[in-house]
Amino acid sequence: MVSPVLLLAVPLGLALCVPLVGRVSRRAAGFVPVIASLFNLVVSIRLLPTVLEEPIVANLGGFPPPFGITLFAGPVGMLLSALIALAGLVVSLYALSYIKTGPTVRYHTLYMLLLVGATGVVLTGDVFNLFVFFEILCISSYALVAYVGDRAGIEASVKYLIQGALGSALLLIGIGLLYGLFGTLNMADIAARIDSVDSVPVFVAMALIVVGLGVEAAIFPLNAWLPDAHSSAPSSISAILSGIAIQVGLYAVVRMVFTVFGASSVLLFFVFLGLLTLLIGELCAFAQNNIKRMLAYSSIGQMGLIMFALAIATTGSVTGGLFQMVSHTLSKALLFLAVGYMVYRSGSLEISSLEGMGRRMPLTSFAFTIGVFSLVGLPPFIGFPSKLLIVRSALAEQGVLLQVLIGLVLLATVIEGAYFFRVIQTVYFKKEEGQEARQDAPPMALLSMFVFVAFIVVIGVYPNLITDVLESGASELLERANYIGSVLG
Amino acid sequence: MRILWFVLSPLMALAVGLFFLGLSRRFMARIQWRVGPPLYQPLIDILRQFTQKSVSHGPLFDLGVVLSLASSFIVVLFMPLGGTAPLSSSGGLLAVLYLMLLGPLGIALSGGEAANPNVSIGISRKLILAVGYEVPFLMIVLALMTYYGTISIGEIVAAQRESASAIASFPLVFSGIAYLLILPAMLGVRPFEVVGAAQEISSGPAAEYGGPYLALATIQHGLTMFIGISLFVNLLWGGASNPVVFFLKMLVVFAFGFWVNAAFPRLRVEQAVRYLWRWPTLIAFVGLILVATIGR
Amino acid sequence: MSLGLLLIVAFGGSLLTYLLGKVSARTRDAFAVLISLALVVMVASLYGKAFRVPFYGGFLGMPLVLRIDGLSWLFAIAASVLGCLSVVFSLGYMKGKERTSFYYSMLLLVIAAMLGVVLSGDLLSLFIFWEIMSWSTFLLISYNGGPALAAGMKYFVMSFVGSLAMLAGVLTLHGSFGTLEFTGVAAGMSSASPGYVLAILVLFGVAFGTKNAIWPFHAWLPPAHSEAPSPFSAVLSGILIKMGVYGFLLLMFVIVGLRTFLSLGVGRIEFHTVLSIIGAITILLPTFIAIFQNDAKRLLAWSTVAQAGYIILGISFGTSLSVAGGMFHFLNHAVFKALLFMVVGAVEYRTNGVRDLDSLGGLIKRMPVTFIVAVIGVCGLIGVPLTNGFVSKWLIYKTLILERSPFLAFAALFGTWGTILYSYKFLHNIFLGQLPQRYEDMERAPFTMLLPMTILSVVVVLFGVLPGIPLAVIDTIGVSFGFESLHVTPWGIASDTGALNTVNMLVAALVGLVVVWCVFRSGARSVSVGQADSYAAGAAVPRDKYQYSVRFYAPLRRMMAPYLKDFVDSFYMRLAGWVRGLGDGLRRIYTGYVGDYVMYILVFLAVLIFVQIAWSPW
Repeated sequence: MVSPVLLLAVPLGLALCVPLVGRVSRRAAGFVPVIASLFNLVVSIRLLPTVLEEPIVANLGGFPPPFGITLFAGPVGMLLSALIALAGLVVSLYALSYIKTGPTVRYHTLYMLLLVGATGVVLTGDVFNLFVFFEILCISSYALVAYVGDRAGIEASVKYLIQGALGSALLLIGIGLLYGLFGTLNMADIAARIDSVDSVPVFVAMALIVVGLGVEAAIFPLNAWLPDAHSSAPSSISAILSGIAIQVGLYAVVRMVFTVFGASSVLLFFVFLGLLTLLIGELCAFAQNNIKRMLAYSSIGQMGLIMFALAIATTGSVTGGLFQMVSHTLSKALLFLAVGYMVYRSGSLEISSLEGMGRRMPLTSFAFTIGVFSLVGLPPFIGFPSKLLIVRSALAEQGVLLQVLIGLVLLATVIEGAYFFRVIQTVYFKKEEGQEARQDAPPMALLSMFVFVAFIVVIGVYPNLITDVLESGASELLERANYIGSVLG
Repeated sequence: MRILWFVLSPLMALAVGLFFLGLSRRFMARIQWRVGPPLYQPLIDILRQFTQKSVSHGPLFDLGVVLSLASSFIVVLFMPLGGTAPLSSSGGLLAVLYLMLLGPLGIALSGGEAANPNVSIGISRKLILAVGYEVPFLMIVLALMTYYGTISIGEIVAAQRESASAIASFPLVFSGIAYLLILPAMLGVRPFEVVGAAQEISSGPAAEYGGPYLALATIQHGLTMFIGISLFVNLLWGGASNPVVFFLKMLVVFAFGFWVNAAFPRLRVEQAVRYLWRWPTLIAFVGLILVATIGR
Repeated sequence: MSLGLLLIVAFGGSLLTYLLGKVSARTRDAFAVLISLALVVMVASLYGKAFRVPFYGGFLGMPLVLRIDGLSWLFAIAASVLGCLSVVFSLGYMKGKERTSFYYSMLLLVIAAMLGVVLSGDLLSLFIFWEIMSWSTFLLISYNGGPALAAGMKYFVMSFVGSLAMLAGVLTLHGSFGTLEFTGVAAGMSSASPGYVLAILVLFGVAFGTKNAIWPFHAWLPPAHSEAPSPFSAVLSGILIKMGVYGFLLLMFVIVGLRTFLSLGVGRIEFHTVLSIIGAITILLPTFIAIFQNDAKRLLAWSTVAQAGYIILGISFGTSLSVAGGMFHFLNHAVFKALLFMVVGAVEYRTNGVRDLDSLGGLIKRMPVTFIVAVIGVCGLIGVPLTNGFVSKWLIYKTLILERSPFLAFAALFGTWGTILYSYKFLHNIFLGQLPQRYEDMERAPFTMLLPMTILSVVVVLFGVLPGIPLAVIDTIGVSFGFESLHVTPWGIASDTGALNTVNMLVAALVGLVVVWCVFRSGARSVSVGQADSYAAGAAVPRDKYQYSVRFYAPLRRMMAPYLKDFVDSFYMRLAGWVRGLGDGLRRIYTGYVGDYVMYILVFLAVLIFVQIAWSPW
């Protein structure tokens, strides 16, 4: 049997090899992330059926929990690790042609570390390890945001660094508090001992951890770094940051709140916070003229929606939230990849500069359109079943409050549709002055985009392909006792 | 009997319509202290015009006039003129409302083929004026149809024969008064002579007509008068049991309409519409509300 | 004939058309015509059938079903025939335009989605096809660029609001009854509380009302219809917005049920009366706005809103006559409005895109056939006897009068007089009056344009003379809703309270015309002269210096203009402005100064902890 440890060990090892390979051939270095992600993808998918039956708990060093370092590979972990690997694979393919200038070898190393960090966060069963992997993820993303080396990138990176570091510090304090309270760092062990979050020390620990992780998870008002960072980073990195990094942050928040703290009493607060994040993200995106900033704000909105769905905490809504994570990763990463080359060709980030792209870059524009349709939630694309699930589960709950809230969510969707469709119109139907020759994105980039397109359409038409995984993921998140039981035995 | 009316109705309409045209000229002359032409003058004019040469601007120019006159004759077939109407089961008053507009529409289409500004202005005025009087007119007609619970003219006449005539019964008296107030506008006589204003826009839609065209248009004008008046007699004054009484009733209504004609100067089209949308509409509206709330 | 195959042909045809366009334009054109024709044949072969087929096991646990019955057949045949004619019309219209493959493919996609909507057997597939229809329509409306972009945006936003309301409705129903198939939902609805039914009706009503453009959801329609490519405007106005009518019929009479629908209300205010009044408003206001439009397509677009009012008035009034009238009027409007949009399309094609009513004129001399079909279409629109519009409007008027609703009847009848005004303006300013010199050498409309227009105009007259043909189909649908039968005869309706007999009228009209024509011909012959050779009371009429049709209804406009503001539209526009302003304001939270951001984080943390310590709400 394959151990989930390989999901971390192999890419980490390969990440360290990248500089060596880079000495031999700079071009070859770009293929290392491809191989590593492919490996992770295959392993994750192979492990999925096993995990669906029973989660795998791997102990590093042979110490039984709660003493050793534990990896917990449940359905959620495997789903997200497969998603990270998939996005990582496609984006690294894209990067083969997109990342041409600058310190490319370092880019690939950092990129792989980012993936390792993200995979680690979703697989770990240990609070301190969570912090460690989280730091790997964050630090490599600080560096990658500044990759281009222009003023905007460095400024954004520094801002991101300051806020991220503050978040990490808060997270560390929270973890320290937990350790002081319970004398253990194993998630299941802490979870087993927490009676309630009513007591002030536990609540303070939770608040610190939620706020610390929330910075990365782009929860309002902790998300101020995001628009700058996502819009200044190279597009391949924006894709990963938007598609993976913030979702991993959100996963960590949810894992802590649901599993470790079992804090069902704060969930309503999270519902409102999610809704607020959603509305503010969409409204800000509506007022944007810079395409990448618009996408970044839209990511904030999507995070709000996912959080909203997860915090309702019924099987249906958590399934919907996880589904929305999948659909957001695919769609938003696709959008950033497509926009990457559009912006590259037009030389400007202004939405108005995308006029006539439908003619200049027909395939890229097509991929962009699919991404938009999916993100807005139109059938037959993946965003439709995911939004459908969220709305369905929210409406299935009794009570006027939730019905009003879902009305607001739908309103936010309208705003989202409005600003995205405006871009579609600009890309296709605005008349441009001088007719420029057709010059589409390079084949490798197109291939990577169309991998996403294929997933978006196929899952959009056959959502049942992944609903099993999502549902068992939902029950994993919701049923604490099972989690504790499977780790501690 | 019904077959006979198919022939008789149009002939009667033609005769009475021309008679009204002659009478109106005579009437006018007497009010203005003139002798005036003989009563059969319109007939002579028409016969003369048929022998005169004229110009044509195209096929639609011919067809429009024919359509206009033919449709007026069809409307006549819907009217019980002191007997049963030939076309009694073909849509009733609702069809009449529609067919009544084909007359002016035919003239409008015909005139449209000529590039004459006077025609365009005349048509525009005609349509505006029609919107003006249709507001009270529709209210009147709806009050009647609602009151009697039918859309058939024959049944409205029959119902009045059983009780009092509509203009003499309580809620419908308003409708009757309103109808009298808009009658001059429907007949297109002064003060509502904005459409065919001879001195201002060279008779408007008829500006291009001469010879047979003018003859047909004149007949159509006569029929319009006939229809407007006979509708009043049928709907509000209980119709008649034989054509002679019907004719006499029409004569009375005609006289009223022309008294107004002679006594007032011509209005501008906006003034006309304003007038029509003020008093007649108000009265017709009161009638309609009373009918809708009190009922029969 | 299986329904699945039908949809596969429809959707596959759309995709293949695009791909073929990359190979050869001629093949693509032929293929598009072929596919649309095949759809007509396939739908026609389904006449009189009624069955259901599941086609998708479970979309997130909700099985998707297709079904056909009388109602869906009626809409399907209208959609496929109009779609086919529109494709044929496009052959000429789109020649030489850019991105034609995209255009044809989207046109076919819209048709396919409409077929999907009417053939859906459950609410989820209805919603899915509805959404596909909405976004493909958006793309086609935006096709022309320029002002079309704003029009498309407005359409999309309003239609999206509607479909999300519908989504909420669909999922609420799913939550309550666990099934979305029409029969299952209908069974559940019969025992639901009135408040619940009302809420569902309102949610769906927003979606259907927006698509059908009833007041106050009409604001998208005038710009969208006028800016879309004309053959697509024909589809849009003719059938696409009628999907809202289909939805209403389905909801009111299949899902909610006639009895429940008529008894629904809050206190003494009945729901269906409110809807009828909305219908009446939808007739009156847009009609009088249409009168003062100077863009031919915008005029027709406002007219579409008004005619949609008749349909809603008819079906929501809820008597057997009115519902039949409403359904018949949907069919008729599809025919004559598509015809009129095609007329404008043909004129646009020959004048290089001119559709300003103030600068056209006299085209009867250059496009006689187009003029004839335009007259027929306009007659249908007005409802002149012996055209189809007369019969459907007659049914509606009659029932309104006999059911003692004279005010609704007044709105309907007065709306017709307004219709006469704008229809005549349309006809006069394009075809009659003086012919500008620049159009003197214009060619006639090409055959591919004349053919669909002629077919439609024949239908206008056919349905007007023999209304029994469509009414028989409509009557069976009405009976399936639970109404009593209408006693349809081939030439109308047999009834005690005023029958309808179109054949009588036809004979009278023919005899009258022949007699008058003979009399007319017996007079002296006339001399044919040119258009400009006209009588002007001694003053020469200068040529090409004046355009007599400019400001055609100026006196009326002076009187009415102040009352004809589309305040609903200005409200929406202001709302959009506010949202943008709100977004702009919120954006300033992100000041760009990192100290502020750090403060946000710390303040948020502090507030959390403070709140917990102070009030311990968690």
